[in-house]
Amino acid sequence: MHQCNCENPLLPTIVEVVDIKDETSDVKSFYVKSEEGVPFNVMPGQLAMVSLIPVGEGMFSVSWQEEQEYLQFAIKRVGLMTDELHKIEVGQKIGVRGPYGNGFPVEDCQGKDMLFIAGGIGLAPLRSFIKYCFKHREDYGKIQILYGSRSYDDLCFKDELFEKWPQEKDTEVYVTIDNAEEGWDGHVGFVPSYLEELNPNPAGKIAVTCGPPIMIKFVLQALEKMGYSDEQVITTLEMRMKCGIGKCGRCNIGSQYICLDGPVFNLAQLRELPPEW
Amino acid sequence: MQILNKNKLKAALNKLAETADVFVPAARGENSGFYSWKTFDQEKDELMLEALNVYLPPKNVLFPQTERMYSFQEEGSGVVIKESFEDSSPTVIFGARACDVAAIDCFDDVFLTRGYEDTFYKSRRDNTTIIANACYQPGPNCFCASMGVNPTDPATADIIIRDTGEDYVWEARTEKGTALTQKIADLLENKEVKIPELQAFSKNVEYDGVAAKLKGMFEHPIWDKLSEACQTCGICTYVCPSCYCFDIQVKSFGEEGYRFRCYDSCMYREYSQMAGGHNPREDAKERFRNRFLHKLEFFQERYGKPLCVGCGRCIVACPAGISITEIIKEIKEA
Amino acid sequence: MKDISNKIKEIAKKLLENGQVDIFMAWEKGEYPFQTKPFFARNTEEADKIIFDEYSIHNLSNSLLKFRDRPEKIGIVVKGCDSRGIVRLLEDNQFQRERLYIVGVNCPGMKDPLKAMKNNSGFGKKTEEEDLADKCRNCMQPNPVIYDEILGDIQEAHLEGDRFARVKEIENMSPDERYSFFEESLSKCIRCYACRQVCVACNCRTCIFDETKPQWVGRESSSSDNMMYHLVRASHMAGRCVECGECERVCPVNIPLMLINRKLIKDVDQFFGPYEAGMEYIEGAIPPLSVYRENDPDDFI
Repeated sequence: MHQCNCENPLLPTIVEVVDIKDETSDVKSFYVKSEEGVPFNVMPGQLAMVSLIPVGEGMFSVSWQEEQEYLQFAIKRVGLMTDELHKIEVGQKIGVRGPYGNGFPVEDCQGKDMLFIAGGIGLAPLRSFIKYCFKHREDYGKIQILYGSRSYDDLCFKDELFEKWPQEKDTEVYVTIDNAEEGWDGHVGFVPSYLEELNPNPAGKIAVTCGPPIMIKFVLQALEKMGYSDEQVITTLEMRMKCGIGKCGRCNIGSQYICLDGPVFNLAQLRELPPEW
Repeated sequence: MQILNKNKLKAALNKLAETADVFVPAARGENSGFYSWKTFDQEKDELMLEALNVYLPPKNVLFPQTERMYSFQEEGSGVVIKESFEDSSPTVIFGARACDVAAIDCFDDVFLTRGYEDTFYKSRRDNTTIIANACYQPGPNCFCASMGVNPTDPATADIIIRDTGEDYVWEARTEKGTALTQKIADLLENKEVKIPELQAFSKNVEYDGVAAKLKGMFEHPIWDKLSEACQTCGICTYVCPSCYCFDIQVKSFGEEGYRFRCYDSCMYREYSQMAGGHNPREDAKERFRNRFLHKLEFFQERYGKPLCVGCGRCIVACPAGISITEIIKEIKEA
Repeated sequence: MKDISNKIKEIAKKLLENGQVDIFMAWEKGEYPFQTKPFFARNTEEADKIIFDEYSIHNLSNSLLKFRDRPEKIGIVVKGCDSRGIVRLLEDNQFQRERLYIVGVNCPGMKDPLKAMKNNSGFGKKTEEEDLADKCRNCMQPNPVIYDEILGDIQEAHLEGDRFARVKEIENMSPDERYSFFEESLSKCIRCYACRQVCVACNCRTCIFDETKPQWVGRESSSSDNMMYHLVRASHMAGRCVECGECERVCPVNIPLMLINRKLIKDVDQFFGPYEAGMEYIEGAIPPLSVYRENDPDDFI
């Protein structure tokens, strides 16, 4: 894991937005780079504070670091700061600080089959791990990706989902949307029930999940039913954050700070914490 | 032993104030707190070194209620960070009680350990010298000894002064303390005086075992009852010497502005409200529980000590009469 | 007062026993003789702890807000000012009359347990014990205006002179003097929001100060943000403050909040009155500044 090693961990670095891509009607990917390339190196699942400096800051998971080329953030429009962020254009300068948090245990997962289960914008953090697995393909076994959204439009990263990832070696991609719609001939239904339908064998496998709280709740129940142990299940949590360095207080669950000790926990670790997640 | 005669106190403060901003416990109008000796009004303000303590704690000196972090300037589609406000001016906290010094120790744990150092805090802290005023006569709401604080010997103070009636025994404990002592060396005398004895505490609680017990009490019905009268204002958090939670906000004026941090309170709904609408601590009970668990369990788990130093301010200040010592007792009995 | 206290206890027990109420809101004794605090009894055993004494100063009507979306029937003890708080809640459609059993007490005036706690704490300067709380020195309505049952002898208003005297002094200041007066008073504010939290008229589900989209008022403890906070708070009180004085009583830094509230009380009375908020509950009544009309004679909207 990388740590924010700047002189002052609360000061942002100014970066330029070099590309913006619409993922869905309310999710955009922002590609940022600094004069040196990337402002800092991140591991999959780590966080960074993105600041539209005169407006506000928001903590986001880094959806991908492309070598020393750029950092990518897939950001959903949900509040004041993200509303403003969605209005900016290529060339705009914004601030980023980080990386924060522990990230996914990419090394501990080596040699394992990987099952990624995501809902909605929850694919953004998992994508960094998925792409990492493809980049280090020989380190991981079979890769299964189960992803669902409310509608076809709400599916993020469509080109990867339908074009690139299914082409990867020993990889299966399952996509579902909540309700049937015209032109969609794929699976219809919620992620947890599709998961139960697929019933992936837990042997030698690590399940990684992220999505809306209600989806996570039922996915965890389904995995438990299928025989996954608590150590085999990993998730990444979201809380309101301000500092990113475990000082400002608000993102605690029990004695753990999600920005510093998290956001990634396995289920065994989570069960030690008060049920506020 | 070295002593400072009380008649020379103001001279000593003036001397120290030549090279540092000196904060003293004082009453100002109906309020009391730590105020800069520079702003001390000899007519209207009153030094409170002989009172038990002041109502507002000295945390404002090291961790101001509102603290500018950096300023910025917009230029076309760009923006530049103009200045980062790390305050390294020499500062003295004069006459803090042991409870308030112990609270600064908690701040040191939070801001200087566990992964990151908070640059803004560190800069102030490194340049602040703490002169503690040993306590021999606990007040009606004092219970610092129950929380592991020694009122007569605050371990991390740079200098300890002990009130013997006519004099202060002056004892430098650290290099910083020695350096500061040299500045007023000509005001100090050598004299043997009798050091007072610590009087008994009228309020005691048994904190031992509370953190461990609380680990199994997250969903205990006791929280409904304990939190019922709480009106979720932020008084307890703002008068608390050890509450450190903060918010980060921005102020923009046209093309320029600054980002600042300010005290925040876990008692406010907005504290944990997420942009998407979800709030893990929506109800008064949930916020109340988090506050007391933070004080009595979570901080203990993370830093090996409670986040309560037994100063009694929240007990005095709570409009609903909620008392942390009563809560500890109820937890013990539950 | 002992007699009233016993009667309240009896009433509470009876109401809880026969299921007329699920919760009975009154007071219990704290650690010190001068500490009385709000207490909600849920059964007859708990009701045994109920007391009413010269420190039962808290306006409990604000606590009803915690129960506004719940089904419980609630018994509540109110003094004159507190009862105006009940009217406030009913007029604002925040509570249903039929969920309440109101025990009124004609109030002889109270002492302030917070002030006594502070005074006996050793923090700061000790002041003389007072025989009457500040908020009771300008009391025009010691007798409850709405109740199901009433206790104690009818009391005279305790007005120590003109309750607007200080407001008039401020009105007579020059604009500069007035500005520096408010700047000084409000610069002390630590933004703990206790004034809002204890206020029965502050019953908005989402307070403007908690709104983040957009954030209307900055969170700096600077004189501009503090003034903005207090200006907005005060203007939301216009025609709505029932003069219970709780905001000023709980303020940890002694900001003269009732002075600001009284200016608005005086103005509302003068421009839209005669009017005093919360003096009687008439179903369907329209108090000043409480309705929105497209044909409002003022075109500022």
